[in-house]
Order: sequence, then C-alpha cells, then structure tokens
Amino acid sequence: MDAEAAKLLAAGIGLGVATIGPGVGIGLLTKGACEGIARQPEASGDIRTAMIIGAGMTEALALYAFVIAIILVFVA
Amino acid sequence: MAGEAGSSKVVEALHELNVQNVISIPKLGPIDFSITNAVIYLWFGAAVVFLFFFIVSRRLRKEPGAMQTFAEILLGFGRGHLTGQIGEKGKKFYYLILTIFVFVLTTNLIGLIPKPELLKPYTPTTNINVTFGIAVVVFIVTQFQGVKNHGARGYVRSWLLPPGIPKALAVPLNGIFFIVHLVGELFRPLSLSVRLFGNTIAGHLVILVMAGLILQFASAIVIVPAALFIVVMMAFEIFVAFLQAYIFSLLSTVYIESAIYAGH
Repeated sequence: MDAEAAKLLAAGIGLGVATIGPGVGIGLLTKGACEGIARQPEASGDIRTAMIIGAGMTEALALYAFVIAIILVFVA
Repeated sequence: MAGEAGSSKVVEALHELNVQNVISIPKLGPIDFSITNAVIYLWFGAAVVFLFFFIVSRRLRKEPGAMQTFAEILLGFGRGHLTGQIGEKGKKFYYLILTIFVFVLTTNLIGLIPKPELLKPYTPTTNINVTFGIAVVVFIVTQFQGVKNHGARGYVRSWLLPPGIPKALAVPLNGIFFIVHLVGELFRPLSLSVRLFGNTIAGHLVILVMAGLILQFASAIVIVPAALFIVVMMAFEIFVAFLQAYIFSLLSTVYIESAIYAGH
C-alpha cells in the first residue's frame, strides 16, 4: 500500500473512530442536563450554561482529530 | 494533494478558504509582508468592531438609541457572564475578554455572508495562525498574572504538591506533577486555537463542498436536498459562531482566573 493511500485511509478511519468518544460524551452531558432541568426547573439557566460549556469542550476533542485528518490529506 | 480534481467545481467552490495576495510585497528575509485577503478581512473585522464602539462612545445619551443599547448589552454581557468568575483582581481584563468575544463573533459572522469571488472572501478564524495568535495573547496574560500575583517561586510551587511530605517521596512526585502541569498549561492555548479553528473551518468546508456539489452535478435531484442542507448548515454555523466566541472568551476568563488565584 503506497503512502498516499495509507494517509487517506488513516484520515478517514481516524476521524470516524474519533467521533465516537465525543458523541457518547455529549449524549451523556445532555442526559444529565435534561434530568437536572426536570428535577429543578428554576436552575435551568445555570444548567444550560454548564451544558453549553461542556459541549464546547468535548466537541473540541473530535476537532483535534479533524485537524490531524486535514493535515494528513492536504499537507503531505 | 490527493486526486486529479483540478477542474472540479467542488475545488473551485473552496476558493473561500484560499489565502491570496492582494498587494505583493517582496520578502524581507524569511517573512513575507504581502497584503493578502486574509490580512484585509482581518483589518476589516477589527475596523468594524472598533468603529462600532467608537461611534457609540462619542455621544452617550441618557435615553439610549439603538446602537448605544446594543453596546450596553454587550458590555453588560461581558461583565456579567463572561468575566463573572474573575473577581476583584481580574477586573482589568473585562475589556480584553469582551474584545476577544466581539472580534471573534464579528469576523465569523462577516465570513458567513456569501460574497462574490471578486471580493476574495476569507474568514480570518479559518486560519490557524489568527486563532493561535489570540490564544498566545491569553497565554502570555495568564503566565504574567500568575508570576505577578505569586512571584515566580510561588507560582511554580502552586503547580506542585502541598508542603509537608517527606523528601524521598516528594521529589519524584513533584517532578511528575510539574511535568504534567506544564504540559497541561502549554496545551491550553493550543486547544483554544484548535477548537475555534476546527469549528469554523469544518462548518465552512461542509457548506462550500455542498455548494460545489450543486455546481458539479447540475441536476434537480441533487440541487433540492443540497440547497435545503445548506440552509440548515448556515443556521447551525451562525449558532456555532456565537457558541465558539462565547466558549473561547469564557475559557480565557477561566485560565486567567486560575492563574490569578493559583493554589486557591
């Protein structure tokens, strides 16, 4: 398998696998947020803020893999 | 690069991600000072932000008009939500954090407006150098504040174990703690910049590739679902623009606050 094919394969498979973790993470995050809001609707503002921050941080993990995939495909 | 897609419409549609020279200036040593479209749109975003606040501040009225109300909302947001955690010592950073928020938001929103290829459109935040530049500023501010508030020894000591552990155990453990914390500290500006860069460029790439597909296969079966998808993605991109600006500035606040009050 030549280097070009290996790079493209690595980019594709790597990015696909890397989205599993943050996907599960954001799902759990939203679950916790929904349960929190259901228990105490007065706190929904704070819970929403915490959820948005958490989602931003976990989504960044998938983005690291995206950047590596872009580097693999376009920059050698 | 992979593939023979030189004449493909999809590649043509990605022109918004290319940095092109507008005024070429020959290199001075290793640095190329040419004015590229990235530079022009960066200046344009900065000029829009500056002019908005400047014009509003020239004539402040007790019964605010629309622009002044908007500026007051932004300032209240900056002081309340963005820097709520920072406390007394960090008050001087209200304006840095708010500037970061408004600048990132403005350049992202301007970049989302479709512009003809003649204007060589470019969103500065799709360039890792721009986002890394902002993150480096935040990093320098955090380290400087940490050293200034605790002294160099105290700041490094806040990275280690609390005192009162026998020497034989403490030295290797402190070494490990120091290295782990140092790596984590160096990773923060990197993660800030990559988060903003990745979110912005991923959204733009999806929209542009979809547009390129519409141009490539000019048939009704492709155009209708692709156009709907682009509309939805544009809405999502606007939401992501706000969210990422908010997260960038909020995390900058958290990092600066953790450096000011290091060791709690």
